[in-house]
Amino acid sequence: MPKSIIRTTELDFYFKDFKALDKINLNVPEGSIYGFLGPNGAGKTTTIRILLDLFHSKPGQVKLFGQELLANKVELLGKVGALIENPSIYKHLTGRQNLEVVRRMIGAPKSRIDEVLKIVRLTDNANKKAKNYSLGMCQRLGLASALLNDPDLLILDEPTNGLDPSGIIEMRELIIRLNKEHGKTIFLSSHILTEIEKMATDVAIIDQGKIMYEGKLDGLHSNNPTQFLEIKLDNVQKAIEVIKELSYTISEQDSKTITLPIADKKDISKINKALVQNDIEVYQLKSTEETLEAIFLNLTKKLDQ
Amino acid sequence: MNIALQLKRGISAEIFKYKKTFTFWLLILAPAFVPIINFIILWQKGPQIIKEGMNAWSTLIGFSIDPANFLFPFFVMMVALLVNNIEYSSNTWKLIYAQPLSRLTLYLSKMKVFIVMIFISLMLFGTFTILVGLSMRVVQPGLGFEESFSFGFEYALMFKIFLATLGMASIQFFISQQSKNLILPLGIGIAGLISFMIVVQGWEYAPYHPYGYAILATGGIRQEGYQIWADMASAYKSLIVAVAMFTLAGVTQLRKRII
Repeated sequence: MPKSIIRTTELDFYFKDFKALDKINLNVPEGSIYGFLGPNGAGKTTTIRILLDLFHSKPGQVKLFGQELLANKVELLGKVGALIENPSIYKHLTGRQNLEVVRRMIGAPKSRIDEVLKIVRLTDNANKKAKNYSLGMCQRLGLASALLNDPDLLILDEPTNGLDPSGIIEMRELIIRLNKEHGKTIFLSSHILTEIEKMATDVAIIDQGKIMYEGKLDGLHSNNPTQFLEIKLDNVQKAIEVIKELSYTISEQDSKTITLPIADKKDISKINKALVQNDIEVYQLKSTEETLEAIFLNLTKKLDQ
Repeated sequence: MNIALQLKRGISAEIFKYKKTFTFWLLILAPAFVPIINFIILWQKGPQIIKEGMNAWSTLIGFSIDPANFLFPFFVMMVALLVNNIEYSSNTWKLIYAQPLSRLTLYLSKMKVFIVMIFISLMLFGTFTILVGLSMRVVQPGLGFEESFSFGFEYALMFKIFLATLGMASIQFFISQQSKNLILPLGIGIAGLISFMIVVQGWEYAPYHPYGYAILATGGIRQEGYQIWADMASAYKSLIVAVAMFTLAGVTQLRKRII
């Protein structure tokens, strides 16, 4: 079994009375791209800030590289590079000067600045003031400063947030390259499923502060043999009442269609019968293969709440 | 990693941040403001101001200290605001606290740079004042600046003001560190200064008002035989406030659960 780079044990966190994280157990294996997935407000950023000790955890809850975070913070953060949510950049300085501020803090050699600029392809714009940077350039500059200390672990909070499609592809390739060629373990949060699906080897899904799934990306499919049923009909409101009475949960709906997870083919006829008995015109019944998106929606049930 | 190396890194990064900022120029230009005005006044109206029998150097120092006593607290407020607000406005508290430096180091770096900035600007102010006097020997000979003058006295005076200012500086630093808001620290600072000016008119506890220590420390400057080190009560009070407030600010920053 590979070494665990990040391990959290029964991690919980409160903002006053609000429980933001509830017994989070994460285990990030060495060399993985670990996708940390969840809807907005699920607790992703909170978890990441705890991993960097920006939010204080309790002793024993967080271990990085097998060592207690709180007791060895300075040493451990020396092996971690982080990009936290919207970029933290001194706007009055150039890209290169921004890196110099961080370089001075960590004591990396000067030559490292050119190296990281090259990795994130920012060399040509390095001497431009950061206030003139596009969002994509800011994100890449943030990534460059995370790479300055040549970390073994990269923690990236929504690295593709706000990027245009070509920026997203570029960032994705960069992340995969850092993992494959430079051997870095990457912990990556996102609320965009397809993003994670294209990169990650391992995933955790968090919702409302709880971990709904953790493990290999492939394992997600087999663990949840959920099928989805898509129904086209004339009276959606009435149909929803009928279906809820049968104690199913609706995962998606619009003016003509309802989608819901089902466990068995028999559910289809059961639902159809109920709908017809209630004088609802059913135009189409279609069961769909599970997609990661469907699994995600099912796990987080966000449309039903 | 030992704390000395961490501090060196923290301070070096901290200083680099102010490159090409308003803060850097403020440190140089603000202390030059009053001396430049004094230079123009003495150059143009010197003979009307410095009459026969008056000591030119003492007059110049009096001319410097009075406006400085009023303007310097505003300068301190601005510097306290700038060193902390640079992190709020660029959203970089989380950047610096995610680096492999202890929170204590990061706090001490900022505090030290802040204190040194105040010290440097006061020493510059002293130097500029002396330069005004020396330049009068050339542009307005005969005012009395040819007389010898102890430069050490001027720098000692600046050092005393520095000590007596640390108290209010520490309060401003703490408030600016805690508040993202720009107006609140300025408001509290101005209220502090003005309230001192009111209570000093006759309230017996006015000497304990932290925003008045610097003014009280130089209060007797125009009297004959003023001794810089004779009355240090205000400077000591200021130091006590500074130790208390900088400790409080540090502990608050170290214990902050959420950044």
